[in-house]
Amino acid sequence: MAYRVLIVDDSPAMRAFVHRVIELSGFDLSACFEASNGEEALTLLRSEWVDAILTDINMPRMDGQEFLRRLAGDQMLRSIPAIVISTDATRHRMESMASLGARGYITKPFLPEALRAELERTLGVPCD
Amino acid sequence: MCEVLRQALRQAVDEVLDKMFFVCPLGEAEPDPEDAAPAIAARLTFEGEPSGWMTLRLTWQAAHAIAADFLGEDEESLTEQRTGEVVREMANMICGSVLSQVEGATAFHLAEPRILTIEEDADEHHGAVVFAVDIPNGRLTLLMNTERPECSEIVESVS
Repeated sequence: MAYRVLIVDDSPAMRAFVHRVIELSGFDLSACFEASNGEEALTLLRSEWVDAILTDINMPRMDGQEFLRRLAGDQMLRSIPAIVISTDATRHRMESMASLGARGYITKPFLPEALRAELERTLGVPCD
Repeated sequence: MCEVLRQALRQAVDEVLDKMFFVCPLGEAEPDPEDAAPAIAARLTFEGEPSGWMTLRLTWQAAHAIAADFLGEDEESLTEQRTGEVVREMANMICGSVLSQVEGATAFHLAEPRILTIEEDADEHHGAVVFAVDIPNGRLTLLMNTERPECSEIVESVS
């Protein structure tokens, strides 16, 4: 099965990198969408269904915390698993994002295989 | 000089360059204030315990090569703006990695990194911890200044 993924990050360089890493990792990707903040992501999600969301925390207009709150409060979108990608590796931040509904957390820097593993774990992809 | 902060910078640089940029540092270098090699620098401020700022300076040729690799683009077609985006992202990652080491339990907030003008980059950096490494095609230099608590308090919280 191939998956549709949304990358939410205000850094165009990071979005490009994550997209490339997912492709190179061998993850079964059928479509990849990008948004530069939570607000843009919510607009995109009104017209495109995705299987998983990878989101940054610090973003202008709508940050990752508010984005997760909105997802959790939306009947249609709450089932989409969201994984946080952040430089913040403090326990406090990880717990706070989990309490808002994040199903996974990847700290930067990360290895390409760690990103693939977290996506597959969150999506319940069976191991090879 | 705060050796604990310096150690955290060293570890963050090694990890970030290796995992995200596939670059192997060639060895620690003596920071050279007279170094006039063309460079690009990004600075970000952070709030937490401690608060402060960090500047990342990369010699231009190294920055360009790293950015092209990171984005999967040809060096020839890479614009200054795209290189700047990658340098800002690298500064964000290194600073976050350092703070995750020294701020184990408390959350911190990183401001958006910005590219410095030559004049801003030339400002004196009294009190900053400086760390430099040689990398393929050039040099990476970090300057980090923590306002509060002072380095001695960081040492206590880490140990």
